[in-house]
Amino acid sequence: MTEINEKLSSLIDNENVESKSLDALILDKEQQNVFSRYHLIGDVIRNETALNIDVSELVMAEIMQQPESAIVTPIKAVAVRENSDNNVISFIKRFGQYAIAASVAGVVVMTSFITSQPTIENNGIEVLNTIPFGSVSPVSLQANKSQSKQALQERHERLEALLKDHQLQLQLQP
Amino acid sequence: MNERDLDFQLIQRIQNGEQQAFTLLVRKYQNRVANILTRYVRSSGDIADVTQEVFIKVHKSLPSFRGDSAFYTWLYRITVNTAKNYLTSQSRRPPASDIDAMEADSYDGSDALKSADSPESILRSEEMKRVIMDAIDKLPTELKAAITLRELEGMSYEEIAKIEDCPIGTVRSRIFRARDSIDKQLAPLLEE
Repeated sequence: MTEINEKLSSLIDNENVESKSLDALILDKEQQNVFSRYHLIGDVIRNETALNIDVSELVMAEIMQQPESAIVTPIKAVAVRENSDNNVISFIKRFGQYAIAASVAGVVVMTSFITSQPTIENNGIEVLNTIPFGSVSPVSLQANKSQSKQALQERHERLEALLKDHQLQLQLQP
Repeated sequence: MNERDLDFQLIQRIQNGEQQAFTLLVRKYQNRVANILTRYVRSSGDIADVTQEVFIKVHKSLPSFRGDSAFYTWLYRITVNTAKNYLTSQSRRPPASDIDAMEADSYDGSDALKSADSPESILRSEEMKRVIMDAIDKLPTELKAAITLRELEGMSYEEIAKIEDCPIGTVRSRIFRARDSIDKQLAPLLEE
C-alpha cells in the first residue's frame, strides 16, 4: 500500500505519470480518496482553499445518465500545399472559363436582338424599340427582315449547341 | 515535466471515451473551483450545486478543448461564467470586478463564506486547516522542507534534489512521507 501511495504521490507532482498507475487509480476508489486528500493538503498549504467538498459521485452519476456522451477527438488540421505551377494552371483555367462565359453571353445578347425584330408573325410590332443617337442605324435594324422561320430555327440550334458545348467543357474541367 | 501532463493524459483518455477518468479531474479541482465560487455564491450548499454544474459543463465542452491554454485556465473561465449565470438566475448582480485565474488561487474563500454560511461549516473548515498546519509543524525538518518546496514553491523533484543535495529518489520518498503523515491526521477528520 505504501508503495502504491508513493507512486500516487509522485503522479500528483507530474513526476511519474505512468499509464499503469493511472489505470489503477481510475479503477480503485480507495486510491482516489487518497488522491483527493493529497490534493487537498496541497491546496490548503498554498492557501488555495479552505473548503472540502466532494461532488465527484454526483457529477459522474449525472454524466452517466446522459444518453450518449458526444466525445470527439480533436480533428487535426491538414495543411494543403499548392505549388506555383498549380496556381498558374488554376489561373488559366479560371481565365478560360471567363472567356467562354463572355462569348456565350455575347451570342445570347446578339440573338435576342435579332429574334426580337418585327417579323411576319408579330405583324411588325417592335418588341425591342431602341433608336440610337446619330445617323447610324442600330445593328438590329440592319438585319434582313425577310429572314425566314427556318433561319431563326437554325440560329437557335447553333446557340443551343454552343451552350451544350460550354456546359460539357465545364464538366470536363477537374 | 510541466503541470499539464497529468491533466492532458486524463483529458486524452476522456476524449477517447474513458469516462471514468473524468472523476480524477473532478477530484483534483473541485475544491479550487469551490474556492473561486465563494466570491459569487454565499451558501456552501449552493457552492456544491454550482460546482457540480461547472463540472457537467466542463464535461460537455471537453471535446472542444484543444489544449491551447492550461486546463485550469479553461476551467476557471467556465467556473466564472457559470457563477455569473447563477447570480443572474438569482437576480443578483455579479461582483464589480473579476479576479483572474492566478489571483483566484490565493483568494481565501472562507472569509466570504463567513458572512453567510452556517457556523458548523466554518468551524469544520477552520479545523481542517489547523490540523493540516499542525501536522506540517510536527514533521521532521527534511520532510517539512521537501513538502514546502514542492507545494509552496512549485519546484520539481530535480530542483529540490539540487537544493537539498540528495538523490531524486530521496526527494520522492520524503515528499510522500510528509503527505502520508499529514494524511494520517486529516483522514479521520474528513470521515467524521
